[in-house]
Formats: sequence, structure tokens, C-alpha cells
Amino acid sequence: MRECEKVLDYFNNELSNTEREKFEKHLESCDECREELEELRMLTDDLPFSSDPVEPPEGMKDRVLGAVFEEDKEVSEDQVVPLNEHRSKEEGPAHAPKPRGNRQRWMMSGLAAALAVSLIGNVYILSNGGEESVSEPPISESTDEVNSRVLLQGEATTASATAAIIRQNESQLLTLQAEQLDQLEGDQVYQVWLLAGDQPYRAGTFVANSNGEGAVAFSMDQLPADIDWEAVAVSKEPDAESQTPQGEVILSSTL
Amino acid sequence: MMAVVKEKKGCVMSNRDLEYYQKMMNGDKQSLEAIYDKYEKLLYSFVIKLSSDHSLAEEVLQEVFIKLWTQKAQYDETKGKFSSWIVTITRYTAIDLIRARKESVSLEEETDVPEEKGDSVEDLVEWKEKSTDVRRALSQLSDEQRRIVDLFYFKGCSQSKIAEECNLPLGTVKGRLRLALKHLKKHLSIQEGGISDA
Repeated sequence: MRECEKVLDYFNNELSNTEREKFEKHLESCDECREELEELRMLTDDLPFSSDPVEPPEGMKDRVLGAVFEEDKEVSEDQVVPLNEHRSKEEGPAHAPKPRGNRQRWMMSGLAAALAVSLIGNVYILSNGGEESVSEPPISESTDEVNSRVLLQGEATTASATAAIIRQNESQLLTLQAEQLDQLEGDQVYQVWLLAGDQPYRAGTFVANSNGEGAVAFSMDQLPADIDWEAVAVSKEPDAESQTPQGEVILSSTL
Repeated sequence: MMAVVKEKKGCVMSNRDLEYYQKMMNGDKQSLEAIYDKYEKLLYSFVIKLSSDHSLAEEVLQEVFIKLWTQKAQYDETKGKFSSWIVTITRYTAIDLIRARKESVSLEEETDVPEEKGDSVEDLVEWKEKSTDVRRALSQLSDEQRRIVDLFYFKGCSQSKIAEECNLPLGTVKGRLRLALKHLKKHLSIQEGGISDA
């Protein structure tokens, strides 16, 4: 099938990952397909309003929002470190961990692995949907606290990331997880930077997996102490060696 | 050629939506709840129309609001209205879950173009304003056009599936669909009294 004939299947999410990537590449250079897609979106955007009103079942709101906020709690605990001491202050007493749904699994396993490795080395690359496993993550007892948590966005990309600086005893850890990343080519990597004044400091390197997801955990012990970090950014670099940003900064946020 | 349809006045609810959305991004649970209250019935009804499955509909809503809250899906106000965005997320979430369940949606029965039943569409202004118009516009399509729209948009079928179901050569599906959708939009615009067609 010619690429231009895949517009409908792209719109309906019927393409395989490879096909989708190929088509998205095609979209960059084909005005006609972009217009057709935009037109499809516009022409269909009233259709949901033809739905017959159906009364939702009793208690649905409580169940749905309950699950949403519960999910959030699990995610933030995992983001903070797979140790058992952390509680954020407003969330009250410990709750029994519940089995997690599939939807978060890539994120959980990826982050847990990333964090575990970060305690050994400093940088971990997540690829292949977070399937890597790390044997025997180091066990330590500590209470962690999120010092700051920010959302990184960029103007020329749909990618986004969240970053958190976590205080763990006397150390600080930077975690970052990104999604909807463009695929890299050759030796290219995504590089995380912490910025103070005009000075960028390397703060972890990662690549995107086939789903466009990547994560990093970085021990800030190797950075100069007592710096007031102003911003965090992600750039696309030609290789993992850049000491200052060589490529474009795609995502950033002030801290 | 793109038909350009003027935005109806009276649908300018997005400012409030945006305000809720931004507060929610900063972790305000009440704002998420406000969004939920506003869209619950529309989204629920929409998923029922897509899947005819009540338990799936609840699961879809849960998934959608988790995506919102955990910011896995992010709204960009420069790309359109919040309501269009949230129904789009809902549609994709529903399609994904339906596929994941491997429940082959029965294609025997076309999702009926609903009769006007006088059911209340409740307090969502945009729904109230549009439901009658959209239904009427749908009813003015030919049976084949309605079927193509139904298979494509509400059933999320692939191009080849639509070709098979409608007995059309693969290469003509896109053209037929676009024509049907353009007719639909034209009927809608006439009803709404504001059209400029480029």
C-alpha cells in the first residue's frame, strides 16, 4: 500500500508500530496527507454528540475517581523510590499495596530498574519497553522526599517528561521519565541537563524505546554541592559524549 | 479542499474547561472532579455507542481520567477545543480496550442513528446544542454513507474491513468516506446557519 493510502488506518490506530513510524515520517513531507488527517478530525468532531444519553451506573463517579487518585498515589510512590518508607504528607497513613494494572507496568518496571541501577552507577538506559531486569537491587533503608517535581515540555515536539529531585538521606537523586519521544538514529542519545546560571551540567543519558518512552535516574552526588538549580532540560545529542549541549534542546522546565 | 465551518457562538465553554484543566495539571483534585462531572455522561454515552458494553464504558472512563490526571495525555489549547480533545482521547481509549479484549464487535448490526427520543442530554451545553443537529444531519445521509461513517468512526474499522463490509474496492473507501463526512458537515452547517466553504 502506498503511504498516502494509510491515512484512514492511521487515524483509526490500525497500523503496527513500524508502519506508524514510517507513516509519520511520510507525514512530515506530505502536505496532502496532513491536510486529509486534519480534515478527518474536523469532519468527525461533532459525531460524539450524536450519542444517545445513557445514565451512568450508580457509584461510577466514586469508583472512577477513586481509582484515578489511587493510581496517582501508586505512581508517585514509585517515582519516589522503590523503598518502603516514603509517604507523602497529605496522603495520610500507609495503604496496603494493591496489584497494579497492566497500564502502569512499563512505567513501574522501568523506573524501578532505573532507580536501582542509579544507585550502582549513575545512568540507566531504558529500552525495549522496560523489559530489562536488574538482579538484586541494592536494599537500603531511607526516607525519601520529593524536593521538586516539574513537567518538561517543548515547542517543537509532542514529547513530554516529568522530572523530580528526590532527597534521600544526604544525597539527591534526579529522576526523569519521558514519553512520545522521536526515535533516535545511529549513536544519538537524549541527554538530561541541569542548569545553574548559564552553565549546563550533564545529568543522565537515555534513549527512547520503540514506544517512544525513556527514563533516567541520576545521582546528583557527582555534581557540585550547594548549587541552586534553575532549570532542567533534555537535548538530542549526536552521541553520549557531549559535555555541553550540541544538539537542540527539545524539552525544558524551570525548577 | 477543506470545508471551513465557523465556530458557533454559544459553544465557548472552553475557557472554563481550560481553567479547570490547568488547575488539575497543578494537582487540584476538585478541578479534575469538575471536568469529570461535566463530561461523565457524554463520554459514558459515547462509549456505549462505540461498544454497547456498559462494563467497558466504565473502564474506558477510568482509563481516560487516569491519562488526564497522570498527564499521560496532554491537552494543547492551540489545537482545538477541550471537548473535542477529551472525546478523541475517549474514542482511542475505547478502541484500544475493545481490541485488547479481543471482543470482535458485531458488525451485523449497524449502530442505529438514534431517533430523537426526547431523552435529556442534561447539562452539557454543547451536547444539548449539537445532538439534534448531528442526528438530523446523519439521517440525511444515504444508507451507504451512514454505514461507512459508522464503520469508520464508531466501530474504528480498518480500511480493508470497511471495503469488505460495504463491498467496495479498497481504493474507493477513502473517497466515499470523505464525501459522506463532507455531506454530513454541510447538512450540519446549514442547520447551524453559518458556513463558508473554501
